[in-house]
Amino acid sequence: MDAESAKLLAAGISMGVGSIGPALGLGMLISKALESIARQPEVAGEIRTNMFIGIGVTEAVALYAFVIALILIFVA
Amino acid sequence: MKRKRLIWGVVAVVALGALVGYDLLKTPGQSEQVEIVEEFELQPLIKLPAIGPFDLSVNKAVVYLWITAAVLIVFALLVRRSLRQEPPSRFRVLMELLYALAHDGIVGAVMKSGRATWFPYIAGAFFFVLTANLIGLIPLPFAHHHQLGFYTATANLYVTLALALCTFVFTHFAGLRQNRGRYFINWAPSSAPPVLKQLIWVIHSVSEVFRLVSLAVRLFANMLAGHAILAVFFAMALIFQSVLAALVLQGASVLIYMFEIFVAFIQAFIFAILSAVYIGGALDQEH
Repeated sequence: MDAESAKLLAAGISMGVGSIGPALGLGMLISKALESIARQPEVAGEIRTNMFIGIGVTEAVALYAFVIALILIFVA
Repeated sequence: MKRKRLIWGVVAVVALGALVGYDLLKTPGQSEQVEIVEEFELQPLIKLPAIGPFDLSVNKAVVYLWITAAVLIVFALLVRRSLRQEPPSRFRVLMELLYALAHDGIVGAVMKSGRATWFPYIAGAFFFVLTANLIGLIPLPFAHHHQLGFYTATANLYVTLALALCTFVFTHFAGLRQNRGRYFINWAPSSAPPVLKQLIWVIHSVSEVFRLVSLAVRLFANMLAGHAILAVFFAMALIFQSVLAALVLQGASVLIYMFEIFVAFIQAFIFAILSAVYIGGALDQEH
């Protein structure tokens, strides 16, 4: 395997493997938030705000993988 | 009745997109080579001499930031004028909704003290990022040769890093002004044993740096990924050179476009709310 194809392969793998964790995390986060909204609709606004903060923080992990993939393809 | 209208609207938008794609297909010649990477490369539009290490040339990102600033100034003037109108116009109600979102949804929901002091910065960051994101979704003619013209100032790491640096500086400024010399000592809980305390302090200072990096990279990567996906979908119709593929892909790209409007809003919201969380955390230290 030459260096070029190794780079492309590594970029693909980093994106794919790097999305597993955030996907599970987002699923758990949103399911729990929906559960608590269903249980206590009166605090729905507060839960939603905190859910979006959590989504932003969790999603960033996948985006780090995306940035690494970009660096592998275009910079390295 | 309302639902029927909505469905027709979606159908019309998809048909329009397909028409544009079909039109693009018919122009022969230059459609074979579409370089998506070139969309995000910055070439100087107006060449200016460099002062020391700073290159002052005007490029796409600078023009987009100018447009964002101009749009915000015009909106501010319009809002000021609409405040005198009675009864309130639709525009004024919409602006008041956005203001209430920034005031109660972001600052009011997260910060305990210093709301009045820091509301202008956080609302300013929110509206600036929101406007920059939304303007990025309008194709503007600043592209080189036959590019698609999708670009946004926030799909540039330098812009987002500058915005995140503002939050970073203001966080520590606010903390130092509120807590004086205790600010840095308060980073570690006073109840912890001495050795552990130093370790916690080191971990906390590392996390402060990574907050800055993650705030910048989150916005940058989200906008870059969204625009890259849009560009890929629009370009795929050109690559496949078939009307059927164009029809399907244009429909899909319209849906992605709608999702990108949502993402632009959510990212501005998250940027502002995390700024509020960081500044609020520096103001009301728990320890």
